[in-house]
Amino acid sequence: MIDRILIFFYKTTGFPLLDYFVGTFILAFLCVIVGDVIFLIGKKINGKYIKKMTTEMKKKEELSIIAYQRGDKAGYKALNKDATNAWGKNFFTMAAYSAGMLSPLPFALGWMHTRFSDVEFLLAYPLSLIFGETVGYTFTFIPLYILSRIIFKYIRPYILKNLK
Amino acid sequence: MIKKFLPFIVVFLLISSFSIILFDNAAYAQISLEEAISNIPAGSEKGEMDQSAKKGFLGIPGAPSPNLMIGFLWAIWVGWIFSTVGAFGGIMAGVGHISIFGLGDYAKTFKTSAPELNKLVTDSIRVSNQWLVGLSALVSSISYTKQKRLVSSLGLFLGLGALFATFLVVFTTAGKVKFSQYQGFFGLIVFIIGGFMIYEQSPRGQRSKKEAQAAVKSFEKTIKDKKNIEDQGVKTLKWNIIKTEISFFGQKFTFSPVWAFVGGFFISAIASFIGVGGGFLYVPFLTSIVGLPMFVVAGTSALSVLIGMTFSIFNFMALKGVIVYWPLIGVELLGVFAGSLIGPRTAKYIPNRVLKGIFIVLAVYLGFRYTLKGFFGITLL
Repeated sequence: MIDRILIFFYKTTGFPLLDYFVGTFILAFLCVIVGDVIFLIGKKINGKYIKKMTTEMKKKEELSIIAYQRGDKAGYKALNKDATNAWGKNFFTMAAYSAGMLSPLPFALGWMHTRFSDVEFLLAYPLSLIFGETVGYTFTFIPLYILSRIIFKYIRPYILKNLK
Repeated sequence: MIKKFLPFIVVFLLISSFSIILFDNAAYAQISLEEAISNIPAGSEKGEMDQSAKKGFLGIPGAPSPNLMIGFLWAIWVGWIFSTVGAFGGIMAGVGHISIFGLGDYAKTFKTSAPELNKLVTDSIRVSNQWLVGLSALVSSISYTKQKRLVSSLGLFLGLGALFATFLVVFTTAGKVKFSQYQGFFGLIVFIIGGFMIYEQSPRGQRSKKEAQAAVKSFEKTIKDKKNIEDQGVKTLKWNIIKTEISFFGQKFTFSPVWAFVGGFFISAIASFIGVGGGFLYVPFLTSIVGLPMFVVAGTSALSVLIGMTFSIFNFMALKGVIVYWPLIGVELLGVFAGSLIGPRTAKYIPNRVLKGIFIVLAVYLGFRYTLKGFFGITLL
């Protein structure tokens, strides 16, 4: 079922190469939207906790700088270390939320592998010097995902405004 | 933002070109999965392969097909650890790939009959770990850049060290590391992380916490009168190979680029080899050894992890032809996310000290288990 829906986007123009890029762009854009929805759900559920954690981390960082400003080296060292612990927790929690945001990517790449694992794009010089003679589907998907994320960044406020 | 990343992109491209020129296609071409499969003796005994068997992991006939539900449940556990304990989550993700999904034991069956397949599966496990870490570091780096927490000069030297180390690790170990060796080294890294955790709980580690709490009290009043330090951002005042000076919030900090390079090199070498991010080493290195404030360290270490992982994944997958099982990575990312939602809700029921104690025991056990099994073939319970 999913395969039929996704491959539909690869048959829009009738020109194979163009179809491939249109289909991959739509797939990448879908990944961005689904990832964003997952992230928003996480934020909604645990927003309070994230805020508390971030505030604690920032406070400790600020305190360490004030200690440094005052020339209190021992205080700076101790506070800096304390901020490290707060940062560790914040970093890994945010890493886990990022995981949710990016989770559609491997599924999309997994689907592309079933359809396009034999497709290879010849690269022109000097790109061939860096990436080798040919590249596969991942090489086209990732730049299109980044492009989709940039476009979505500008569209997102309008979508959220209309949803409200 | 693009300007901040430009030096890293340029260095990345330069080193990529260098790697291709140095190792021409014939020299570095690794045996493909199809070739490795075709070299395996036919049969149904241990170390043999029935080519007509149902395809499993990476499309290998007869290989175990990682159960995605188990992958998801294990990742919930990983996410829960991320949001309650921190760094140990990455280790647990690796444990899943090595032990829980049956991939390690499967790779071992071809240790002598088809060492190429053994090494290909090992590389796939390493790269799967790196995908999990790299994707997480990507979002963190973007977020820290927006917060003006990134020091280009520091990131450049750390990143350079990371790039050289990753380059060296990939080209000297891809397709050459047996699963047992990987398992042994993984065990040693778990010991190091366990050591960090034990130190934190020791009287000495606790003393520094008490000092910090006392310092918090004495400076808390001052903070109310200050402006938000985030508005200030970080500026590099001058930088050369001997000494680099940065400033933020009106304060000057100096660091040695040579030290940053050396740190980036060694930390990234370990991280790339094992398939972990290395954040657990970057942060103490930059705060304790280099002496930089946490505000600067946070974003820059996330970026260094990202650079190392990107280059490592690129080299393994694009240049060495290592493949990963995408659906497993997908469900793992979802599981990690779900686990991180549960973590904060359960943390209040388990005291932090108890939690750390549990993971110290786990680290010692896993460290022993993997080191002994990997290097000496001794199996612990």
